[in-house]
Amino acid sequence: MKSAQLEYSPEELMSEDSYESPLYGGDVLCHGGYINDQYISPRGKVRRPAIEAWRTRLTEEGQPLIHVPDAYVPPHYPNYEQAKYLMKEGLVQPVSRSLTTISILEGFGARIRDVALPDFDKEVVEDLSGTALAHLDKGLFEAHARDEAGHRDQGGHKQMWEAARDVGLDKPNIPGDVLMRLMGGGTSNRKAERIYPELSAQMEQTIISMANILVVETFAEDVFAWAMELLGDEEVSADPKLAAHLVDCVRIDEKPHVDYLTVALSELRGRTLISQDGKKTFEGSEVVDHIFSRLLRGSASNRPKEARERLQQEIHGQIQDARRAEKVSKHFESLDSGWTFPVAKDEQLEILTKAA
Amino acid sequence: MPKLLNRLHRASRIGYTALCVWLRYKGPQWWDRFRGNDPDARDMRGIHQKNADQVFNTAVAMRGMLIKMCQIVGTRSDVFPPEYVSTLSKCHDQMPARAFDEVRDVVESELGKPIGEVFAEFSETAIASASLAQVHKAKLQDGTTVAVKIQYPDIDHIIQTDLFSSRRIAAIYQRFDKNPMDFLPLLDELQRHLRMELDFRREVESGDKIRTLFEDDRIVHIPEFHHALCSRRVIVMEFVEGIKVTEKDEIDAAGIDASMLMPRLMRAFNKMILAFGFFHADPHPGNILVTKGDGGSPEFILLDFGLAKDLPDGFGMGIFELMFSMMTFNESAMLRAFKELGFKTKNDDDNTLIHIARRMVGRSDSGSFQGEFTEEMTDEMFDAIRENPVVEVPTDFVLVARAFSLLSGIAHTLGQSANALDALGPG
Ligand SMILES: Nc1ncnc2c1ncn2[C@@H]1O[C@H](COP(=O)(O)OP(=O)(O)OP(=O)(O)O)[C@@H](O)[C@H]1O
Ligand SMILES: [Fe+2]
Ligand SMILES: [Fe+2]
Repeated sequence: MKSAQLEYSPEELMSEDSYESPLYGGDVLCHGGYINDQYISPRGKVRRPAIEAWRTRLTEEGQPLIHVPDAYVPPHYPNYEQAKYLMKEGLVQPVSRSLTTISILEGFGARIRDVALPDFDKEVVEDLSGTALAHLDKGLFEAHARDEAGHRDQGGHKQMWEAARDVGLDKPNIPGDVLMRLMGGGTSNRKAERIYPELSAQMEQTIISMANILVVETFAEDVFAWAMELLGDEEVSADPKLAAHLVDCVRIDEKPHVDYLTVALSELRGRTLISQDGKKTFEGSEVVDHIFSRLLRGSASNRPKEARERLQQEIHGQIQDARRAEKVSKHFESLDSGWTFPVAKDEQLEILTKAA
Repeated sequence: MPKLLNRLHRASRIGYTALCVWLRYKGPQWWDRFRGNDPDARDMRGIHQKNADQVFNTAVAMRGMLIKMCQIVGTRSDVFPPEYVSTLSKCHDQMPARAFDEVRDVVESELGKPIGEVFAEFSETAIASASLAQVHKAKLQDGTTVAVKIQYPDIDHIIQTDLFSSRRIAAIYQRFDKNPMDFLPLLDELQRHLRMELDFRREVESGDKIRTLFEDDRIVHIPEFHHALCSRRVIVMEFVEGIKVTEKDEIDAAGIDASMLMPRLMRAFNKMILAFGFFHADPHPGNILVTKGDGGSPEFILLDFGLAKDLPDGFGMGIFELMFSMMTFNESAMLRAFKELGFKTKNDDDNTLIHIARRMVGRSDSGSFQGEFTEEMTDEMFDAIRENPVVEVPTDFVLVARAFSLLSGIAHTLGQSANALDALGPG
């Protein structure tokens, strides 16, 4: 058997399929396109098989893959039933806010291209040639960034979510507090504390950034399901077909992101990291698993309480008639899924799939 | 001095300075051309320094608007030669003060009481004196230490005169120089700002409003006002202490983590500009003090709300969209953002706006926009706009761009960057 190609140039990793027609979100040009009426993600011609080849190599070496069980993924708040109910009662603002916030966060995904990578040659004992890790700054990050934020005239996920919102909700008003809430309202930014101070800052930060984005991308699977159901619901959507299709395209595009991040982090797990002063080594699995679990738990459990209170305030603020507001608020609460993170504080998280 | 004489005196002194500066540049050029030398090859540093010194001395003597102009020059280190920047940046808070008698007259006439009835102590030497006002330390009858900001007595009048003379000088200069810079828009802008700054009651209101924004956020502190003692020309407020934001050595020596200065400062300004829609529009280094917060993180004291501005609904989002579309260089998104912000072109020629954006991005260090409105970029934008009279720029945008560019100037001094996009994510 001819062994699969494992080294690629940035140009190859960003090369495009030959689409028959482009994707439009309303009148906004987006990325990717159609072949035989099938939506094909952007920059996938070589990237797709490349990620597959790295993954195959990893599993052939008997390495497990990082993985987030479905049970850890928090449902979108407000959930589909709740959001639909609010919209039927005339409260579009919370949904409009959610979709706008998602679009902005997707756009910020482009910051992955600013991650300052460590000197892998010096900071990892084993050879890294022919891995996804060795291609992060050779096209993988850049392709990812462009998918999220768009590039030149092509809109990316940011613009696709905006289009889905505008098509589905018929150009809703965008609440004035989106950016304020995004900035976290009250709190000020602090310097992140080092988790492994002996590793170089770049090494630690690269692992954190990749782990963070992988968690976000994984959680996004539920966001897609939520948005496709809601924006595809003809009782509340102005253009259920197109709106849901746009979200579906984003969903399809995210797969290579989850895949390459999974492969890269899993590759690092199987290697040995060297401290900055060169005197100490760490098992990659220890470092990656610890950071990944910590981030996963953090993002899964810092959810609703505050969001819930805010939504209650919003219902009461928007509906003048106090009795009706009370009724809506009660019914809204009754639809809550009551989700909580399923793992106790001191229990270990399941974050690996067995080697194939 | 009678009014008219004073006016003539001011006008002639400003005119004389302008003429000297102009001749010092043009003279050698003429000489070089006459001798067949390349004028660009001449070392200009000595001439820059002489000119900067003269402008500084005139500004110090004349105060008012001239100082404002010098402040602007003093923060644009990437545009003006270093001789100007280092000389003129001293205009921030190191001006010789007016005599105490003059100050007392203003305080007493504004409060309607003798100074001793309100204050237990009033230091006769000013702690700072800037373009429009000077600040004294004092003690209220109950022992509270306060800062008293007092407008210079004849400032209204002075500003009228200066604006008038500057316009004349600009007009004359434009007639003589073959290749003139257009100062008039700058003068218009200055005039608008100065009018706003002259009513201190407005300043107090603005400070109060911004304080509410930072209520649960210790990152920014705004001195409390003693409202009953504030009026059009006097402000009595909490006395605060901190280190000027550009004094890197002092900040380090105080054990403050300097690496967090710009990220936090940008976050504070993002919060005002992008999220809240009301902002301190004059973030020059003299108005920002640093204190040591939890674990050595920097916190800020903002002073001087003379220039604070309300932004229309959706404006912050528009700025965000503009930055974002510039980052990805998405021209159609950029156009939407420009229009959302209120940019207009006569005969609806979209290409002009795109052209401006291209020029701006071309001036950034990396050739791409990464979230920082550097001074070069802002200047390039204003140049491009001046060259394209078909473009109408909303004043709010001018103020926001200026604020970001002042912040970028501070960042530059600190050896950091003022990235607004980076500072936007959740804390
Ligand atoms: N509350 C205060 N406590 C201590 N010092 C103060 C206080 N307010 C002002 N100062 C000092 O006075 C200086 C000038 O104050 P301020 O900036 O308000 O005056 P200004 O005339 O508006 O100045 P400019 O227009 O040049 O910025 C400040 O830089 C600071 O050093
Ligand atoms: Fe995305
Ligand atoms: Fe993604």
